[in-house]
Amino acid sequence: MKNIFIMIQFTIREALARKVFLFFAGVTLLVLAGALLFFTLIDFDTLMGMSISSGEDGIVGKSINSIVVTIIINPLANLGLLLAIFSSASFVPVMLEKGNIDIFLSKPISRVQLLIGKYLGVVLYVFINIFIFITGIWLIISVKFAYWDASFLTLAALITFTFAVLYALIVFFGVLTKSSILGMMVAYLIFLILSPMMLLYKEKLHLFVSSEMIKTLLDGLYFIIPQTAELMGLTLIDLALGKGIVNVQPIITSFLFLILFLVFSLLLFRRKDF
Amino acid sequence: MIAIETRSLSKVYVSSFGKKKVRALSELNLTIDEGTIFGLLGPNGAGKTTLVKLLLEIIFPTFGTAKLLGEDVNNFLLKKKIGYLPENHKYPSYLAGGEVLKYFGKLSGLDGSKLEIKIDELLELVKLSKWKKAKVRTYSKGMLQRLGLAQALINDPELIFLDEPTDGVDPIGRKEIREILLELKAKSKTIFLNSHLLSEVEMVTDRVGILNKGKLLREGTVKELTETKEEYKITLLNKSVDLSKYSTKNMIISKAYEDSFILKVDHVRTMNLLLDRLRNDNVLIKEVVLQKSTLEEMFISLINEVEKGEAE
Repeated sequence: MKNIFIMIQFTIREALARKVFLFFAGVTLLVLAGALLFFTLIDFDTLMGMSISSGEDGIVGKSINSIVVTIIINPLANLGLLLAIFSSASFVPVMLEKGNIDIFLSKPISRVQLLIGKYLGVVLYVFINIFIFITGIWLIISVKFAYWDASFLTLAALITFTFAVLYALIVFFGVLTKSSILGMMVAYLIFLILSPMMLLYKEKLHLFVSSEMIKTLLDGLYFIIPQTAELMGLTLIDLALGKGIVNVQPIITSFLFLILFLVFSLLLFRRKDF
Repeated sequence: MIAIETRSLSKVYVSSFGKKKVRALSELNLTIDEGTIFGLLGPNGAGKTTLVKLLLEIIFPTFGTAKLLGEDVNNFLLKKKIGYLPENHKYPSYLAGGEVLKYFGKLSGLDGSKLEIKIDELLELVKLSKWKKAKVRTYSKGMLQRLGLAQALINDPELIFLDEPTDGVDPIGRKEIREILLELKAKSKTIFLNSHLLSEVEMVTDRVGILNKGKLLREGTVKELTETKEEYKITLLNKSVDLSKYSTKNMIISKAYEDSFILKVDHVRTMNLLLDRLRNDNVLIKEVVLQKSTLEEMFISLINEVEKGEAE
């Protein structure tokens, strides 16, 4: 456990040195400044009007949360995830470089601890960045509308979880190829194309598929491919509205995907020559 | 006690599609006693680094076994007693020298004031105290090598693997590293040294192994390996003596100079008989020396012999 903690520390230090934190802090500051300006310029009634026109009802505070999620959090979280994947994809391949991995493997730390420590370190640094961002937005809207709903903060955990699922895949390809390119490509493919397509299929297109075989295949794919589109869409909004996690299935199947790819990565890493 | 023991240790690399196999190490049997400095020599691609990586489980054997300090190498906790300086090591450039030692010290199980004291001691030993807070990216190649040595010693290891430790180090720095190695040996540490610099290996090692194409060709003390058996140089006072008339089938003149000769004899007895005959003929002998080659000469000649044998 101590070794995992040291590796997490090491990874956070690496992220600091790579100016990744600085970059995220800069983006967060810009967004928060933009959000502040937005809420200063747009008055409460206008917001409520937008809420009504978007079909939301319920208590006022929840409507505000819903609007904030729709117009600020959702697009920015998606953009943030893309940036997080881009900035963190090389952490494992850099560790596996010749001359670097040799030193780690000559120390009394198991390969499992080494990889888990690295994985958790990256996930933690992404969580810290996202948490700062979400907390900033939450503080602005809470102060502005005098509506304090701490459940809004759970969005940080959900966005980090979505990142952790995709990062397990990046780690697997990182260990397999000792490069970040393939992992990044597959993560982007899932996040930007496959998962939204599968969601579209499940919600609308399945009505148009007549072949039972293709239907079974697509249904299977829907459960196999991590449902990042759903996590960053409906689940995110449900959480912001204080409804909690209404549909646990995307969380469970994505979590199983995460575990599966972490186990694959560990099995591969345990017997890999460097 | 035995520090390193391998039995039929082998490593075969197979290309992605299994078409090509490269035998990097072939059934290596090696035993190295504790408290000695062992030097492993070999041309590029001989399998020297492969052997070290197998011993540290950075790569895994195709077959065979290895033990370090009496324990199977597959126990990662064993590495608490081991230090390693890899060839072409890379340290995070954003860390200062002291931080590098701190992180790897922590991974080696050290912490707190004990670790801080050890870091200062080691930086002093490798003459980098003034550079403790300087980023590694500002270090020269020689300084990085010395930092690498400090890193390998951070856990006060019993067994130390050094892969080309003097690579990029200036002559004064090399001498200092040699002195550190001898100090470690005096503290009963076992050192496994991979180096291309044969003259250095000759200066510090107790035993030497020569590896070529994954096979251990020879192993022994430097003295054993460099002694050319039954070859003598004889220098006479009188330059006009014709030594060829003393030649027999048991004694051949391999080289003749103005007043000296290199003689190959079948046995030391033959040499003594020759000396008796020369003395009987009143030939004045100035000097008789048993011939020794340098480690480098022996190494080149051995590798050439092997290459020649394979070509035939």
